[in-house]
Amino acid sequence: MNEQDLRKMVEQMVEQMVNKDASHTSVAYGKTTDTGSSTMISNECLPDITKIDLRKQFLIENAKDKEGYLAMKAKTPARLGCGKAGARYKTMSMLRVRADHAAAQDAVFSDVSEEFVKKNNFVPVKTLCKDKDEYLTRPDLGRRFSPEEIEVIKKTCGHNPKVLIIVGDGLSSSAIEANVEDMIPAIKQGLSMHSITIPPILFIKYARVGAMDDIGQVTDADVICMLVGERPGLVTAESMSAYIAYKPKHGLAEAKRTVISNIHKGGTTPVEAGAHAAELIKKMLDKKVSGIDLK
Amino acid sequence: MREELLSVGIDIGTSTTQLVFSKLYIENMASSYSVPRIVIVDKEIIYRSEIYFTPLKSPTEIDGPRVRQMIEQEYERAGIDKSAIDTGAVIITGETARKENAKEVLESLSGFAGDFVVATAGPDLESIIAGKGAGAHAYSKEHSTSVVNIDIGGGTSNLALFLRGEIIDTGCLDIGGRLIKIDPETHKITYFSKKVERLIQKHGLGIHLGMIATKENLQPIIALMVKGIKQSVGLAPIDDDFDIMITNKSIAQGHQIDHICFSGGVADYVYHDRAGKDYFAYGDMGILLGEAIRESDLCTKLHLIPSIETIRATVVGAGTHTTEISGSTITYTSNPFPIKNLPILKLRKEEEQDALMLETSIKKKLEWFKLEGDLQRVAIAIEGVQNPSFLQIVEYAKGLVHGLEELINRELPLVLIVEEDMAKALGQAMYHELAYKKDVVCLDSIKLDNGDYIDIGKPIAEGTVLPVVVKTLVFNE
Repeated sequence: MNEQDLRKMVEQMVEQMVNKDASHTSVAYGKTTDTGSSTMISNECLPDITKIDLRKQFLIENAKDKEGYLAMKAKTPARLGCGKAGARYKTMSMLRVRADHAAAQDAVFSDVSEEFVKKNNFVPVKTLCKDKDEYLTRPDLGRRFSPEEIEVIKKTCGHNPKVLIIVGDGLSSSAIEANVEDMIPAIKQGLSMHSITIPPILFIKYARVGAMDDIGQVTDADVICMLVGERPGLVTAESMSAYIAYKPKHGLAEAKRTVISNIHKGGTTPVEAGAHAAELIKKMLDKKVSGIDLK
Repeated sequence: MREELLSVGIDIGTSTTQLVFSKLYIENMASSYSVPRIVIVDKEIIYRSEIYFTPLKSPTEIDGPRVRQMIEQEYERAGIDKSAIDTGAVIITGETARKENAKEVLESLSGFAGDFVVATAGPDLESIIAGKGAGAHAYSKEHSTSVVNIDIGGGTSNLALFLRGEIIDTGCLDIGGRLIKIDPETHKITYFSKKVERLIQKHGLGIHLGMIATKENLQPIIALMVKGIKQSVGLAPIDDDFDIMITNKSIAQGHQIDHICFSGGVADYVYHDRAGKDYFAYGDMGILLGEAIRESDLCTKLHLIPSIETIRATVVGAGTHTTEISGSTITYTSNPFPIKNLPILKLRKEEEQDALMLETSIKKKLEWFKLEGDLQRVAIAIEGVQNPSFLQIVEYAKGLVHGLEELINRELPLVLIVEEDMAKALGQAMYHELAYKKDVVCLDSIKLDNGDYIDIGKPIAEGTVLPVVVKTLVFNE
């Protein structure tokens, strides 16, 4: 099978799978049914298969109780009901796994855009890592700042602020771009109920969670709330966590951090996570503890 | 970190009055590194009362003091103090709900039974509660199928159709075991309900008061009732007899129904062959009705499933299936609970488009809740959006606060209930919009409709969630 035939086959297959909710695409692909050696050059894009809601996708043929299966599928993001071709996945499932894997890789290896940082009035700083490769291989460097960056941090945050919100790219830049714009205003709003205001927000490139300890060390902040991209998986590449700690300093035990994980549109929504985080922060300020001590 | 709620269920029905105590167990099912998710994880019935005949003062009046005495006695027997009761419901069902003093009796009992024991009435709610108590709801969910539960009591038959754990439709028919009463000694017929009388006359069945009842001479009227039940589940064509037997409405025709389940007192004689038993031992036609259903094709054309509870289905449902738990990320800025009998103003999804639309819709609909120009207490219910942006939250907050100006000025409680998970952020945004001067209660994960009432209990699970009972209050004529 030559490359052209293969492409045609895949296109037809994708088209069949998605034509329910994207009937318009069939017009664009109708043309490619020409056989022979002439290549059609088209500016159209293949439909984005990652846009299909997996919870609603059902690929089993002749199912006995499709409605019942779909009702179960609605409760889990797991790839159930995807049928099979012989002993293997169907092409659709295969392509989707690879597409989701690619999105996960992109989330790790891309940067949060400078425009995004500017648009949100974040103050950009960078850990000791030179680039993504060093960031991935040297976790220790992702937790500390150079003296020059420390000066920026001190200037931005002031001394002994009550609450700091900081943002770190972590392992998913996509997570940051997808969530912080809804989460940060929700935290601020929740804090304003208690008349708490916050200094400008730092954006940390190549950040590990431990970076908050270095910032706590130099600013002596009472509570730091760090929003950081989670290691992406196949379910979503846009999941973010909020790590919140009372008086974080070098050597802080991990158990002293309170975490809200799974913040994304299919998990805890960013606005509700923000409102919840504000309440947690207030509780930490009152009780002067965080992590497991907060219980 | 398991927490227990002690719940009471009281059912005052056409023929019997009963009570159960149960424990509801609640637990945070979320891991410690995510937002809490508190749910009811288990339910256990710890005490079942005797089954009493509902005492009547006259054919149109319930004997309130006697009912109260029975309840008091059962509390004592169970060794439970009313101050220990966390939640529960008193439901007044069947023909009893149509008695003149139904409302007064219900209200005084709910207050007496515990601080957060809610008063409920209404045939649709009754159907749902009985269907849940009978286990039809759980069966439909576990087996991913459709189940109709028919709770046949003394005065009415309550239908509830469930599909995969969702309630699809409810109905109520005036078919029951005590619509004809018979003296257990002499077997003389002592009472007909009005509708039974109509049916007898319509068909010229020649049954009259004072006559000695036998299985044979009651057969034609019982056959009409069985036909009515068959019609309700689509096994027989609808005719004008059926219209006579409908209380308020039946379940819509044309639903796919795979399984059938029976509860209520009559159900015991559907499930068990009690051949040789004195048919009129209870002084009514209930045993004969149960037997006729047992022998009809209701049990062969539909797949008959066992019910967990028969005569106690409604009381068990009232005790264990009425209390819900709100979403776990909510806002309440003061503690005015319990709040009882709050009517619902539900907005349509189209009215939620933007702040202005919300504001004008609410203002217009609040007019409905005015009594002689005075605005009454009301809770606003909306659907919300699944994954709202912060700007959407602010938009909602503005529209709601402005729309509710009058309610706020009159110092009525500000209660908002959202279906989607957004109440914490929305409640905070509303509080912000109100410059922190007016307290806000904002809950989510509760589905409501116009005509519903809501009761909200004291915070539980360290203040994370609020227990909620969604109910109706319908006393029909």
